[in-house]
Amino acid sequence: MPRYARPSTPDEAIALLAEGGWTILAGGTDFYPAQGARPIRDDILDIGAIEALRGIREDKGDIVIGAATSWTEIVRARLPMAFDALKAAAREVGSVQIQNTGTIAGNLCNASPAADGVPALLVLDAEVELASTRGIRRLPLRDFVLGNRRTARAADELVTAIRVPTASAAGRSSFFKLGARRYLVISIAMAAVRVETDLQGRIARCAIAVGACSAVARRLERLEADLVGRPADAAALGVIGERHFDGLAPIDDVRASAVYRMEAAREIVGRALADAFGTTAGQGVAA
Amino acid sequence: MRSADTPFVRSAARTDLDLHLRVNGRSHRIRAEARETLLDVLRERLGLFGTKKGCDHGQCGACTVLVDGRRVLSCLTLAAQAEHGAVTTVEGMVEHPVGRLVQAAFVAEDGLQCGYCTPGQIVSATACILEGAATSDEAIREAMSGNLCRCGAYPNIVAAVRSAAAVVERR
Repeated sequence: MPRYARPSTPDEAIALLAEGGWTILAGGTDFYPAQGARPIRDDILDIGAIEALRGIREDKGDIVIGAATSWTEIVRARLPMAFDALKAAAREVGSVQIQNTGTIAGNLCNASPAADGVPALLVLDAEVELASTRGIRRLPLRDFVLGNRRTARAADELVTAIRVPTASAAGRSSFFKLGARRYLVISIAMAAVRVETDLQGRIARCAIAVGACSAVARRLERLEADLVGRPADAAALGVIGERHFDGLAPIDDVRASAVYRMEAAREIVGRALADAFGTTAGQGVAA
Repeated sequence: MRSADTPFVRSAARTDLDLHLRVNGRSHRIRAEARETLLDVLRERLGLFGTKKGCDHGQCGACTVLVDGRRVLSCLTLAAQAEHGAVTTVEGMVEHPVGRLVQAAFVAEDGLQCGYCTPGQIVSATACILEGAATSDEAIREAMSGNLCRCGAYPNIVAAVRSAAAVVERR
């Protein structure tokens, strides 16, 4: 028989986690489907009543999103334009019903290759804050999600927050998700970009991430480097070549073939960049 | 549920829970297992069969209910998670100021065929209007995209939401 605990503070939660054996439940939108056809047998640590894990605040210039902040709360929050990609991703997580309960850290801990939140958080250079009775540590998101359904979280650790450094909360961002339909679908491919321009309208910094085309969403560092210094306009998109997507390893599955995913990734990276540049080339619906 | 003086040790965590649920304005005390979903408790223990089990894994919206005014999927919510919250099901719509207008609009606009998804559609549409999301047909389609209708009554569902939203707007 599964046990159930609903602590009201992070300290209570990590004290329980130190005992071992708990499955953490936040919004629950991935927990229940993950059980498959069998009845729930996991001992459930419900962190939904821990107010300290909710909401968005500023800390020394960093933007700190509480682990149990829902996608709806992210959609409605006042955030810099650099978070537009994250907000766009939030709007396409499942449906409004899912967005009302699903949480940002839950999306990361579930570690699906198609997790909608990951590309947008990668372009924000997000860090994951973990707490246990052993202490607190922070990991860059790229070191947190290790593979399909695998993260660096130890069994006794609780993700307490997602932290975006001040320096990365700058520029404009954009997100494209390609699915069989717009909502309630698992992504075929996703692209998030964040672009900072200088006073001459040249690309000063740029971050590009693709999701659902490898076990873990990836940044396209070579493309980022090749774009820096170019004017942020449609002509810059001509730089995009096959070599920039070498790091991706899309799979064939029921939703799409690997070849299709690769082509889709190239297309939506271009659209997301155009959108972030503010050029009209970004218009049109990917899904 | 734990009381304030229960220490947080594993042995104190419960498998059987005494839950106090508030559903459609009425209080219920039930003994449930931790693993029981809100959907199963509504249907099997409280006899509220209006909330439908469609896919049972969050893809169809037939089980949509309101918890503290927010629309959620009762198949993905443990009953224990809903304790301390006010649950409103389709049975509660008749007394809900917006919900009853939505019900009337679904009848007037013929927003259903077989009717299985309709309770979820009505609850979801009520929340959609209260969220201020029913601003255009396109916005309605986005906000209602979590509720599938296998009969394909979508045009009439959108019409029903549009007309109920207009009535709410006028008041």
